[in-house]
Amino acid sequence: MLKLMGAALVLFAGAMAGFYQSWRLASRPRQIRGLIHALQVLETEIVYALTPLPEALRKLGRKTAAPVSGLFGQIGDRLEQEQGITLQEVWEFTALDYWKQTAMKETEREIVRQLGRTLGISDREDQVKHLHLAIRELQREEMTAIDEQKRYEKMWKSLGILAGVLIVIMMY
Amino acid sequence: MNVDVNAIFQIAGIGIIIAMIHTVLKQMGKEDMAHWVTLIGFIVVLFMVIRMLDELLKEIKTIFLFQ
Repeated sequence: MLKLMGAALVLFAGAMAGFYQSWRLASRPRQIRGLIHALQVLETEIVYALTPLPEALRKLGRKTAAPVSGLFGQIGDRLEQEQGITLQEVWEFTALDYWKQTAMKETEREIVRQLGRTLGISDREDQVKHLHLAIRELQREEMTAIDEQKRYEKMWKSLGILAGVLIVIMMY
Repeated sequence: MNVDVNAIFQIAGIGIIIAMIHTVLKQMGKEDMAHWVTLIGFIVVLFMVIRMLDELLKEIKTIFLFQ
């Protein structure tokens, strides 16, 4: 009886690990799309509304969807709270810190960090150019993420269940 | 005798599962990984068989050499 329960638990854990991996793969393109959307909102804030950057970032945190909104909200809040700190430092630090909570990978983080180094230190046209560059690179990453999702999503699901069954059989 | 049959079923199950993992990995284009998985499964089964053969040889030794 105890053995059966343990076997069921191992099986469940294997299946859940597989489903978690495939969920990460599936949510990566969605989160990249959210990031692109957020950068477009930021562009309109910079070009048309002429909002100061901390306020614009916090507005972004309220406007966008879940994982991306936290990133911009945190950056905006830290800029308000801590005096004498530059946007570049806050951006870099928060991007490194926050990235573990998202399903996105290193390449997207590099793009966002590069954007952070150019934001708020030059005139509008230059910032918009950098924003457009980041958006284009993110779109390319989104394509590869969708491709990966199509290829590996089902593989992870079946692989998790099969690994669970394998461990159960080997230890039985 | 009963234990022996169980071991055979266990090895058969491992074989089936390893074959399924191999096909899944191969379909997704990770053939090198598929080959590694098959090799590791083979080694695990080999160790199980070696242990059982060891028991068998010890039994034969005790029967024929009276130690």
